[in-house]
Amino acid sequence: MPAIETEQLRREFKGGIVAVDGVNLAVDEGEVFAFLGPNGAGKTTTVRMLTTLLRPTSGRAYVAGFDVTREQHAVRRSIGVALQEAGLDALATGRELLELQGRLFGMNAGASRARAVELLELVGLTDAADRQVKTYSGGMKRRLDLASALVHRPRLLFLDEPTEGLDPASRQAVWAEVQRLNREMGMTVFLTTHYLEEADRLAGRLAIIDHGRIVAEGTPEALKAAVGADVVTVAVHRERVEDARSLLAKTDGLRDIRSDDAGLTLFVENGTQAVAQVVRLLDSAGVPVGPVAVSRPSLDEVFLKATGSRLEGAETGGGTENGNR
Amino acid sequence: MATGETAVLRQPALPRWHFGRQTARAIGLLAVRELRLAVRTPAYLVPNLIVPIFFYFVTLGSLEQFANQSGLTNFEGFLLPMALLFAVQGGSAGLNMVTDIESGYFDKLLLTPASRIALLVGAMSADFFRIMVQALVVLVVAVATGLNFETGIVGALALVLLASSFGLAYSGIGFAIALKTGNAQATQSMWFLTMPLMFMTTLFAPKEALAGWLEVAATVNPMTYILDGMRALSMRGWVVEDIGPAVVAIACLGAVSISLAFLALRGRLQ
Repeated sequence: MPAIETEQLRREFKGGIVAVDGVNLAVDEGEVFAFLGPNGAGKTTTVRMLTTLLRPTSGRAYVAGFDVTREQHAVRRSIGVALQEAGLDALATGRELLELQGRLFGMNAGASRARAVELLELVGLTDAADRQVKTYSGGMKRRLDLASALVHRPRLLFLDEPTEGLDPASRQAVWAEVQRLNREMGMTVFLTTHYLEEADRLAGRLAIIDHGRIVAEGTPEALKAAVGADVVTVAVHRERVEDARSLLAKTDGLRDIRSDDAGLTLFVENGTQAVAQVVRLLDSAGVPVGPVAVSRPSLDEVFLKATGSRLEGAETGGGTENGNR
Repeated sequence: MATGETAVLRQPALPRWHFGRQTARAIGLLAVRELRLAVRTPAYLVPNLIVPIFFYFVTLGSLEQFANQSGLTNFEGFLLPMALLFAVQGGSAGLNMVTDIESGYFDKLLLTPASRIALLVGAMSADFFRIMVQALVVLVVAVATGLNFETGIVGALALVLLASSFGLAYSGIGFAIALKTGNAQATQSMWFLTMPLMFMTTLFAPKEALAGWLEVAATVNPMTYILDGMRALSMRGWVVEDIGPAVVAIACLGAVSISLAFLALRGRLQ
């Protein structure tokens, strides 16, 4: 029985913009599932539908076995949610915020007080508990937001861009916490991200979403293996990219070739052999060759293969701090 | 397919009768939170007290002799409703809600099992309480500085209640704009509504003394009837013909504005 299941989930906004276009998903209990995609791909819209904040235009979704449109109340009781913006009451103290959260989930005053103490300890905010949230740093706010998502001990946790805008140390801390919640408490985690490294590190399985549609799905290993080839990247001057592309079409063992302004990406059977040939082909035609690299496919190549473009703002191997959303 | 049984995750639904009590509880919790916010943002509270008291004394000081000469003896009683109306419509209605919407905390509240109605009613109840305290302070200041109250303490409390009810009805507009736009500037611009509503009335002078066009405007302005009702309590006594229309005007305004607020809330949840 899946923890999350959707059938042809679709959301259209005013003006005919289709943010989510027929998404089918199945996330099992106990999984960490990542939804990877560029900004505007439909990740947040999907999360908002799954967490009852937004009604689907059509299609169905079940979360913890409940219908998100007809059994909203039950869905809300079953899930914890930390949204992109770390939505918090700036004028409340951390403790007040958690206590109110507990009480709104039906705990009595004593139980919610005790739970707040426990959670503040868990996320390392005990010392800051009685300070107003507006004095917290970005990382502290994220941790408090995470704590507030856990107040009612949900079995299923939604995290929308959990490390957006965080410094590397805070990011590591959030990752460690998510892994711990999953391992030790068996919590199912559904997270969205546009950081390849985040998806690679955390997710047991992931889906790549682009323009509202799922274009690839599987374990990171399986997805990388499905690229089925070594990756050779060649930097070529923008004006020579097309020339280079037709020249390199003759490369031995070529499976696929993609180009952009920065150069070309070749998917080949044997990377090391191909490099020599690539340089030779370009050189003999008088195309100046920039840096050349061979690698095993990463999620970035998975993404490139599935969507035809690289994941915006994410260099291979790590997230960037450009702060766009 | 997935509608069936998730042994681990499914929890029994709450019994039906539970909802009324849960909602009442949520309203209380959210109202307490709103009041805590109000106390922590004195920048919103203080002007709401200073403006009406300032207007009361300045108008009294500059126009009392004029008024007395033209036969209006209890000018304090005449002005008090004006001061109260300023006190109850200080422009912060809905602003906390906009802040919550902008910060994302409103979503956080929507993700709790608390009923949607509780989110709005909780905020409105807190606002009603805050408004009532503001009106009481203004009343106490006026009485302490020599206002003679025609209808005694019961009338004074009735006046505060009437003023606060108007404040609540008026705040519905602020909540509607807040929920519709989620925008602080738009919500604050509601202040401009105050201009025609408040000043095209018998606010500073009785109807007979108004210029012709202003007299017409005052006649169709519901605020005129609300002011008349309040003035009955402060200077004329329990005059049902004056108080009745005031209650009706407040009820009508409230019915419209609060319905708009709930519609805006529903629109936000689509």
